[in-house]
Amino acid sequence: MKKIAILIAITSFFIFAPGEQAQAQCKQQRVYHCARKGGNAIYLRDFNTKLKAVRSERSINGTKWPVVLNRGTRYRFILCTPSGYGNDVKLTLFDSKHPETKPWNSTEKSGGDKFDFICKRSGVYYVSIRFKQGKGKRKTCAVGILSFVGKNQ
Amino acid sequence: MIKKLIFIFSVVLIFTACGGGGDENTITGPDSQNDVRSVQIDPEKINGLIESFPSPIEMAATIEDMKVPYSKKHLVATEIAADFDSNFDKALGLGMLSADLGYLNVYNRKNAIVEYLTSIKRLADALDVDQFFEFQTLKRLATNSNNLDSLMFLSVTSYHDMDEHLRKTRRSDLSALMITGVWTEGQYLACKVNQFKSDKKTEEIIAGQKDIVKELLGVLEFFDDKPKFKKMNDQFRELLKLYDTVEIKLIEGEDKISYDQDSIPVIEPGEHTDIIYTQEDLNKIQNKIIKIRNNLISL
Repeated sequence: MKKIAILIAITSFFIFAPGEQAQAQCKQQRVYHCARKGGNAIYLRDFNTKLKAVRSERSINGTKWPVVLNRGTRYRFILCTPSGYGNDVKLTLFDSKHPETKPWNSTEKSGGDKFDFICKRSGVYYVSIRFKQGKGKRKTCAVGILSFVGKNQ
Repeated sequence: MIKKLIFIFSVVLIFTACGGGGDENTITGPDSQNDVRSVQIDPEKINGLIESFPSPIEMAATIEDMKVPYSKKHLVATEIAADFDSNFDKALGLGMLSADLGYLNVYNRKNAIVEYLTSIKRLADALDVDQFFEFQTLKRLATNSNNLDSLMFLSVTSYHDMDEHLRKTRRSDLSALMITGVWTEGQYLACKVNQFKSDKKTEEIIAGQKDIVKELLGVLEFFDDKPKFKKMNDQFRELLKLYDTVEIKLIEGEDKISYDQDSIPVIEPGEHTDIIYTQEDLNKIQNKIIKIRNNLISL
């Protein structure tokens, strides 16, 4: 009887335990603080994600979002992570001609947590937030901010 | 006792397996509260397309950045918005008023902001997304505070949260209408600005929308089998046809990286586009956008 109860309890744990799925996105307060890091740039949208710990090369690492950018506009991209994770996560901007492996830019490529992009072609681009190569031992959340700096032509 | 325990466990297991939100591959059609039919479409594809569309504040920020004087007369009148009766009209109206709210926000027009917030709240209530529209906080920020940043931030996040909730609750048709409303109102304002004071920058914003209109139609055509969508989509197809004479040339070049006064890296792609159009092309496109927008608010 006792053995069956233990068996049921263990099985239930694996079935019902939320695990990393329940790891939440960053809180709204963090998104707001991240948006304010854009200075005078006007907040347009955010990319809020949970990052699961990377257990193997086949683990799903991060999220990507499509985003329409308009020609002639200077955009600002900002990445924010909880303290202690600043050097583990990267935000990448790419499109179909410049894939994620050879992107327009990333916070890793340019260093720091933000960069500006002057859009020269209206269309769909992609933003991804992922752990850098070899990082991601612990789960976390991360926020990317897209903001409007101004027209550039 | 053991049998009882196993029985209870099995029942719980069955209910858990059956739960979880149902068939993820089914999205209900337009006017979903009135229409029991559902459209079989790929939710990931459509949600990705919808999600990619610009924020309701972007066109307003562009217009303000070009130092165009404020004018309320081109916005959707809130009295008109009060007459939107079907969910189709309400979702379109929610997008249009959100774009107008973005315009009022960037020009910091507090009295009008409260008026538009009230109208948006009414539409959000009717579409059952009001829980994501923080009306009281927004109203307080608009009336009592000088913190324009917070007001703009909360307005935009409320819009995105409502849009996301519609998609999560399998009402992507309404979400598609919201982005259509935002895009149409933004372009309508650009056309009005260009009619008031034409310049190359504004012209290119309008003429350069060729690929964006294609993307928008890519979303709307998912719902083409519904009469109201069909009627609206026909107008957007006519608009896309007018873009046939606009040529967007891709020119190769060397990327440039510089640093601004705050040491932020600035990437300027060498690859850029030249937009080739005539004044006649532009006039036809402008007139069509204005006509579509006016038709949509007089549905």
